[in-house]
Amino acid sequence: MKQNPDYAGPILEIEDLSISFFTRLREIPAVMDFSVTVQPGEAVGLVGESGCGKSTVALGVMQDLGVNGRVVGGTIKFKGRDLAEMSPSELRDIRGNEIAMIYQEPMASLNPAMKVGKQLMEVPMLHDDVSEKEAYDMALQTVTDVKLPDPARILESYPHQLSGGQQQRIVIAMALMSKPALLILDEPTTALDVTVEAGIVQLVKELGTKYGTSMLFISHNLGLVLETCDRICVMYSGEAVEDGRIADVFDKMRHPYTQALFRSIPLPGADKTARPLVAIRGNFPLPHERPPGCNFGPRCDYFEAGRCDARPIPMEDVEPGHHSRCLRWDEIDWAAPPEATETPPPNPPGDPVLKVSNLKKYYQVAANALFGGGEERVVKANETLDFEARESETLAIVGESGCGKSTLAKMLMGLETATDGTIVMGNEEIQSKPIEERGPGQVSQIQMVFQNPFDTLNPSMTVGRQIIRALEVFDYGANDAERRERMLQLLDLVKLPREFAGRMPRQLSGGQKQRVGIARAFAGDAKIVVADEPVSALDVSVQAAVTDLLMEIQREQKTTLLFISHDLSIVRYLADRVMVMYLGHVVELGTTDEVFAPPYHPYTEALLSAVPIADTKVAKKHIVLDGDIPSAMNPPPGCPFQTRCRWKSEVPGGLCEKEVPPMRTFGAHQIKCHLSDEQLARMEPVIQIAAE
Amino acid sequence: MEPLTWTGGLGDVLDPLFLVSIIALLVSAALSIVVSVATPAQRIVVNPDGTIAAAEGLPGLTAKAQRWSLYAVIGIALAYVVGGAVLSWQGAGILGGMSRQLVPVWISLVALFAVSVATKRSTGLYGKLFDSTVGMIGFALVMFWVFTALYTGAFGLIATHDPLTQVSGMKNEVPGSPFSDEGYPFYLLGGDNLARDVFSRVVSGSVIVVMIAPLATLFAFMVGIVLGLPAGYYGGKLDTILSFLANLILAFPVILLFYLLVTPEIRQTGLPSYMGVALFLAPIAFAAVLIWSRYRTQPSRAYTLLAIVLIPLVWLYLSVINDPSTPIDFLGGIDLFDIAGGVLTVFVSVVFVNSPTVFRIVRGLTLDIKTRDYVAAAQTRGETPWYIMLWEILPNARGPLIVDFCLRIGYTTILLGTLGFFGLGLPPESPDWGSTINDGRRLLSIYPHPAIVPAVALLSLVLGLNLLADGLREESLRD
Repeated sequence: MKQNPDYAGPILEIEDLSISFFTRLREIPAVMDFSVTVQPGEAVGLVGESGCGKSTVALGVMQDLGVNGRVVGGTIKFKGRDLAEMSPSELRDIRGNEIAMIYQEPMASLNPAMKVGKQLMEVPMLHDDVSEKEAYDMALQTVTDVKLPDPARILESYPHQLSGGQQQRIVIAMALMSKPALLILDEPTTALDVTVEAGIVQLVKELGTKYGTSMLFISHNLGLVLETCDRICVMYSGEAVEDGRIADVFDKMRHPYTQALFRSIPLPGADKTARPLVAIRGNFPLPHERPPGCNFGPRCDYFEAGRCDARPIPMEDVEPGHHSRCLRWDEIDWAAPPEATETPPPNPPGDPVLKVSNLKKYYQVAANALFGGGEERVVKANETLDFEARESETLAIVGESGCGKSTLAKMLMGLETATDGTIVMGNEEIQSKPIEERGPGQVSQIQMVFQNPFDTLNPSMTVGRQIIRALEVFDYGANDAERRERMLQLLDLVKLPREFAGRMPRQLSGGQKQRVGIARAFAGDAKIVVADEPVSALDVSVQAAVTDLLMEIQREQKTTLLFISHDLSIVRYLADRVMVMYLGHVVELGTTDEVFAPPYHPYTEALLSAVPIADTKVAKKHIVLDGDIPSAMNPPPGCPFQTRCRWKSEVPGGLCEKEVPPMRTFGAHQIKCHLSDEQLARMEPVIQIAAE
Repeated sequence: MEPLTWTGGLGDVLDPLFLVSIIALLVSAALSIVVSVATPAQRIVVNPDGTIAAAEGLPGLTAKAQRWSLYAVIGIALAYVVGGAVLSWQGAGILGGMSRQLVPVWISLVALFAVSVATKRSTGLYGKLFDSTVGMIGFALVMFWVFTALYTGAFGLIATHDPLTQVSGMKNEVPGSPFSDEGYPFYLLGGDNLARDVFSRVVSGSVIVVMIAPLATLFAFMVGIVLGLPAGYYGGKLDTILSFLANLILAFPVILLFYLLVTPEIRQTGLPSYMGVALFLAPIAFAAVLIWSRYRTQPSRAYTLLAIVLIPLVWLYLSVINDPSTPIDFLGGIDLFDIAGGVLTVFVSVVFVNSPTVFRIVRGLTLDIKTRDYVAAAQTRGETPWYIMLWEILPNARGPLIVDFCLRIGYTTILLGTLGFFGLGLPPESPDWGSTINDGRRLLSIYPHPAIVPAVALLSLVLGLNLLADGLREESLRD
């Protein structure tokens, strides 16, 4: 049963909240002096880097801090009542009923052994005591509301039978079943692909309006918050540093951290030579090693010794409804452009070092692994790839999960051999040469930087040892001393202190680990480096630094960078040429400017529209793709994109469903589409920057 | 001389106190369970200095009572031990006598714990063990038996009599009986039905158990790792075949297998020796691949290291498998040692039945770890599969493996006891705990002590190993 249904005040009031975790060594303050208010029907975004305490706030609201966590100060009031004073049974009544939470990983929130319908029906049956029939009707209604196709069938399926996007919709439906007053979304789309994310974000916005639910939206992505929220609260190292209405914070920021954050993300207009990103220097402080005074002090450009580090900084009013935790907010010239840094011009692209033509990779999947036999199925992971990469050029490979970019990387590295076609590196064909048959020289020519910094280094080997191992395998140097010297030089190259050679990976932050991964890839003077989403798992402030580092090394060593990513903002910032992949096909290929301007391939158009951009001046066309990416095991006939394409009706004769479109060339720009030249020419730009 | 009582003169003072504090502990424990059910969950109060404390009140009171009575029990138990070590014969009784015999063990334990606790922040997982009470108790029990075995086996310190000598007149004497002959004046824990000293047999038995159990477990791990890594890493047909074989062994009744292996007819065919030949190859293969995969880029260094490690290993291996009494006898003069009758068989059987389980654990861990990026990184720089398995995957699987190792030593100890109890493998007069329990079983209703003492010893060691494994698992998950 809902509590005081006539309550009209703020839904959630958090005042001076402090939360600490108690470990065997010390108390670790996770959240300090945090205040936020959520009004009915309002969406508040909570933004910050990992470890800043934003999820701890959410857990505090749910009163679910585990055995080690304690609220050590302040109050959390839900509809005017202090949650800390409620009994466990009252809290149980509120959780899932009045406050619902949506987590990052949808599969972790669903019971894999229970049908989706049953799990949804549990909510009202538990909290509102309704009959099974009523509960089923409600479930059906909510599943329709979250725009899942064929709701009755979905209710009868198990979670693993649904795709990631569908699962997350079910989680949202479950949260909405009890018509909660407050919905907490903890990075609800981080595990999803961009085009799927766009669909979920739109859904959340619509449902917020329809049900009048208040929302606390936790994210690290400023663009996403801009699209979904009314107000924003920026957190840094356990404290709220700035809060206010979206427009105030985005356009008239009054805290150095917020400013630095915006300068470190690639917005349209950023350019790697003219207007490079500005990384925030230094590292995020560990919770027990926070500096005195302002937490951001040591990394701040406006730091004033003796004042900023004297005593804790209070939250100050900038204007009504806009607060900043900065002593100097009215002294700083916020309009001043960032200090220009000297960036040497990029090397002009040289000769082609890598030529891929007509490359195909098919996997045979046997139905029965134990005894063989059975029906064999073919997975077409890559279809007729044709491209080349030049010396000191950055070629971005863009696509969502399942588009075949990892298979391409595996073939380049020699972990898989091609089914058909050729890969020419230098002057040699390597498409059917597995890595065991490649010599150390050839292996060291093409190396890889991996996505997950927490996984890229062996946790039980020192950093130095791992780099030296790469040198040993690449036959570098005559003895240990030479290799050691080279290892220290590599640490210099990636701007890590030489002492790090003796550290274990767990003592390093995510960005530092990624730097070691880069050093390892460049150990044998690689000519080609395949970077598989090298920054997507890093915090925004670190992303800029790692991106800059990659480009700097590229300039010095004239490396060819194959930059695999789904993040079009960063691709636009650093790539020279872009290749867009969908279901194993290259659908568009051209220079960055060509790809980001019309004519687009319909998929590129949708992809561009899906990427959230953290800039209030940008006007974006909203194109939300229906459905999910088809399985590569069972691709649609004809054009791979036809199942989700919004232009399909413009092509006469159902050609899209019958034939794979030809590669159309406009100079160097290639588009794989059936649309006529006039139709392509009619396309409007997706992103427009409003005139200032 | 008068027979000893259990606690002697010291007991007149301490026994009533001990009884009272035990009762207090039980009552307060029961009370606090009742109270915790009856009253709502206690609120934890955070002090300004950052510490947390449970609020006072009825739950706080019972918890306090429980804590203090526990301290009393521990204190009095310590008083028995310390008192026994310093007081005269009649002053401290049997417990005192044993405590005095075990003085080197006490000193070693105290020294070990003092050093370990002082350095616990810098010794990784081992140091973390000393944050867990359960883990510390387990570790203490295990180290008690390790030290006892060490001082008995290597220095001949702790045993009071020869474990095999029979002395007329001491047959089935009760604990504390005075000794009629020269030497140590008492049979502290009485005599068995062949008039041998039970205390000395138990501590001598510990030598056998502490030597064979960890070593056999280690070999089982070697075999399991050498087979489990490729099964998990390569998958496919190899995995299918190896897993099937492992299941086959696991499905075979263990006792029946033992009976078969130790039957004289089977032993004469040399089957256990041949199995030994195969199983003992695993550590050599392990060491060779470990070194070669690591140093393959520097052949000269690899060859030197391989020579240094492999020559002694191979010699040891040949000496172990070579035994004039079995069909495998070719070494002649350079045979270093022969393993006492039956020990090899016991060893082989224990390794044989334990390795499939280890195989499955290693295979599962490998399946998980091989999807990590650092494995992909190793593949893309052209590392050999064995380097990836042994240097990239295995070190990162060590946590669960260490925990399982501790548990498995416990199982092996019980297995050894079982084998001894059935009279399999070891010679009948051997003082190992299983055989001793079997000997004492016949007169159990009249003279229980010859069987109970080794049973308690077995229990305490296995309990210690299990607690140690629990502590390790718990602490490795905490941060």
